[in-house]
Amino acid sequence: MTQDAQQLPGMISGGEPSATRKFDYTIIVWVVLFILLVILVANPIFQLFKESFFVSEDEAGGFTFQNYIDAFETDEYYKPMYITMMLAISVGSISLVVGAVMAWVVSRTDIPFPNLIRNGILASFVTPPFLGAIAWIFLAGQNEGWLNKWIRGLFGLSEEFYLFDIFTMKGVIFAMSLYTFPLVFIVVLAGLNNISSDVEDAANVAGGGTFHTMFSITLPLVAPSLFAGFILAALEAMILFGIPAVLSIPAGQHTMTTQLRAFMVSEDDLLGLASAYAMPMLVLAIGMVWTRGIVLGRRGYATVGGKGGQRRPQKLGVWRIPIFILCMIPLVCAIVLPGFALLTTSFMRNLGGGLVWANFTLWNYHFILTNDAVRVSIYNTILLAIMAATGATIVAAVSAFIAQRKLIKGHQYMGFMATAPIGIPGIVLAVGLFAAYTKQPFVLYGTLWIMFLAYLTKYLPLAYQTANAGLSSIHPELEESCRIMGANRLQVFKDVTVPLFKTAVIASWILVFMPSLRELSASVLLWTTNTKVISVVVVAFYEESLLGPISALGVLLLLITLVAIVAGFRLVGRDFMSSSG
Amino acid sequence: MLKGIIAGLLAVALLSAPAFAADDATMRAAKKEGKITWYSSLTINIAQDICNRYNKKKTGIKCILHRDGSGKLYRRYLQERKGGIYVADVVHTSNLGHFLNLKAKKIITPYKPAGTDNFNEKFVTKDNYWTILRAGVLMPFYNTKKVSEKDAPKTYADFLDPKWKGKIIQSHPSYSGFVTNGMINIVNRFGWGYYEKLAKQKPKIVQSAAGSVPLIARGEALIGTGTTSYTLLKQMQKGEPLKPVIPPAGLALVTSPNSVFTKAPNPNAARVFTDYLFSQETMQLLADYFLYVGNPNVKYPKGLPALKDINLMAIGGDELKKKNKPTRAKFKKLFGV
Repeated sequence: MTQDAQQLPGMISGGEPSATRKFDYTIIVWVVLFILLVILVANPIFQLFKESFFVSEDEAGGFTFQNYIDAFETDEYYKPMYITMMLAISVGSISLVVGAVMAWVVSRTDIPFPNLIRNGILASFVTPPFLGAIAWIFLAGQNEGWLNKWIRGLFGLSEEFYLFDIFTMKGVIFAMSLYTFPLVFIVVLAGLNNISSDVEDAANVAGGGTFHTMFSITLPLVAPSLFAGFILAALEAMILFGIPAVLSIPAGQHTMTTQLRAFMVSEDDLLGLASAYAMPMLVLAIGMVWTRGIVLGRRGYATVGGKGGQRRPQKLGVWRIPIFILCMIPLVCAIVLPGFALLTTSFMRNLGGGLVWANFTLWNYHFILTNDAVRVSIYNTILLAIMAATGATIVAAVSAFIAQRKLIKGHQYMGFMATAPIGIPGIVLAVGLFAAYTKQPFVLYGTLWIMFLAYLTKYLPLAYQTANAGLSSIHPELEESCRIMGANRLQVFKDVTVPLFKTAVIASWILVFMPSLRELSASVLLWTTNTKVISVVVVAFYEESLLGPISALGVLLLLITLVAIVAGFRLVGRDFMSSSG
Repeated sequence: MLKGIIAGLLAVALLSAPAFAADDATMRAAKKEGKITWYSSLTINIAQDICNRYNKKKTGIKCILHRDGSGKLYRRYLQERKGGIYVADVVHTSNLGHFLNLKAKKIITPYKPAGTDNFNEKFVTKDNYWTILRAGVLMPFYNTKKVSEKDAPKTYADFLDPKWKGKIIQSHPSYSGFVTNGMINIVNRFGWGYYEKLAKQKPKIVQSAAGSVPLIARGEALIGTGTTSYTLLKQMQKGEPLKPVIPPAGLALVTSPNSVFTKAPNPNAARVFTDYLFSQETMQLLADYFLYVGNPNVKYPKGLPALKDINLMAIGGDELKKKNKPTRAKFKKLFGV
């Protein structure tokens, strides 16, 4: 990265290089970025679009509208769309309420242990949702779920009674909300932190109570963040594959993502049908991201600007402890209970044997560690996460640097290009990559490269936003003053810019590395014998209901994630996960 | 004249050489290739056990397992072939219909594994395009902790009793050749009306034939409409509270073929490994896992009913090939996924 970047300061307009030389550099940068964008986004989406109008080769080939007719004519394929919309709205709303309330509580009140809540939310943010869903089968299965059994025991109810049934749409909404509300929390917290608490203080002085102030002053001010948070959560619910694969297929209900995958793994060649089916998802997702951009881009709120000064926490009074307990519930449900369920199940010999010493075994761990798929997948997962994190960070850092320092002509389009993939759902991207790179002359299918492309594309926007935010806090004045003091461009870059930029770069690396460890929705369509990753092995094991080995594998994946977080904290400090917008 | 005949015989012998058991030259070439990738629908613990045992022998050939459902393996191979990617050497699934397609397109090649001469005739083929590696039956079953023997279903029709509503597990035919096969047999016997009524029972749907066993062992559901007999019996041996239901109408017999791919990247290792699959050692291992094999010299474990004692329902490969797709489509219509 440094080598690329070191050449860039020489391109600052008005510098020594002649006009021709400047022109050359610009062209090279643009050509490289253009090729990258074509490979990552334009070609897969074009191929997706093309395939949707063609009969599969197994049949006869040729242009057709039949794929669209098949995809949207029958009830069976239409219903998953309706279900997905319902999920998106429900999960978005629940996440909005939970995430926003918790953000307000942490940011504005005298709640005890705010850091515990904050760290708990970040922990649920990095927990693989599919693992959470599997753990919740142990917890809230209709007959044998521990919570149901506990309630039956507590009230002496019959075997027939159950309070929870995770294999229902309500179960899916619940499990999804557990892992999407942190998105709302992060966005709203950032919004709240940007509002000076002066106005709230003023309301307090004028006689408004804690809750009155919250509803009539704070809430309207963070409305754009609330909306953005809702959109993010709803979008995530729409494009999640893991949770519906685990919970809604057994319930006899596909969502759009699981239906899409069913097309892709069908015995018949249904690539055309899958491509047509992916279109509404693509359009909706891009529409949602676009709407969010409009709302966030509207800077109509004069009070929102820069960090507020002193902040006096609102007094919760007698509600302090009850609200704290309420805030802990989602965290216990998202991390503590699932972690406990997976850990204990991973040591059980017989699934029907219960939590007793006689039922203790290390067999599940032995099983996963002597399994070809697992061994290959651990290596691939870590390698891919490192590749994706490094690749995305390099591209993001260079483009952010060019954009911020206005290094080349057209620098204002850098941000657009780097964040272009943001509206493309992972599974749709995977169908596109599949269509584009499984046939000659560009066969990447069967190699880690196709998955690398998927990860890079999926996480580039996140890396760019992080790098960009980090860089925008370094004022060019700093660099300029060093120049005045006599340092040359290279020295300035080496001694001022790089050290200041380093934190943002490391943060963006870790922010890509962690979700890459558990990426599922794209991997599930792209994996092959030698390119398995842990998440797809979990899904493959789940399809055989190998609940014990899955639990052991889940514990392993959580451990790897934990190591990554601890390393992150060590390297960049505990703010690194909240720096993403 | 005699010379001519000998030359002719030699030519025939040479031409058909690949169809016979691996010799020393094959073995040397196989070692040079160093590995073999096995696409197999046999449940992962058994398939992996076979590979691990083979690898422990340190023959210089490494077995790499790729386990998935029959349907997905079939799609995957055709997809990879389209892209000119050849990873798999040997294929083994429970959908004989697929093997008919593969044979018609010459995607698989004849090979007669060593030691199969004395096999039960139902397990070998004349043209050697495939050999049956194992057979099992699709067995309905229940959880003995939650369901008494008296209450347990005895016939297929008993699964339609309203008292089981929401407590049944049904496996999905799109992914499992075993289930597709079983369903076609049951539809032949009882008609689609049976599954129409079963769908109204709101069973939970799992994606592999063996997938219902852990969930019912846990008690999450009480009865299963059908799983692979070998998974069920093995788990019972391990102490899970399960018991099979053997309806008078009979059980669907599923025979699962094994073939070598024509374009196997490791053609010699593929043949050496196939010999290992049909060796006395592996045949006995499969028998220990409660599978039926063609080798008459294996000892079957206690608790495995002899095939001749079961009333078997069976269909041929052609029927499977023909009814495969409509069965899956109808299932989706009825069960929603």
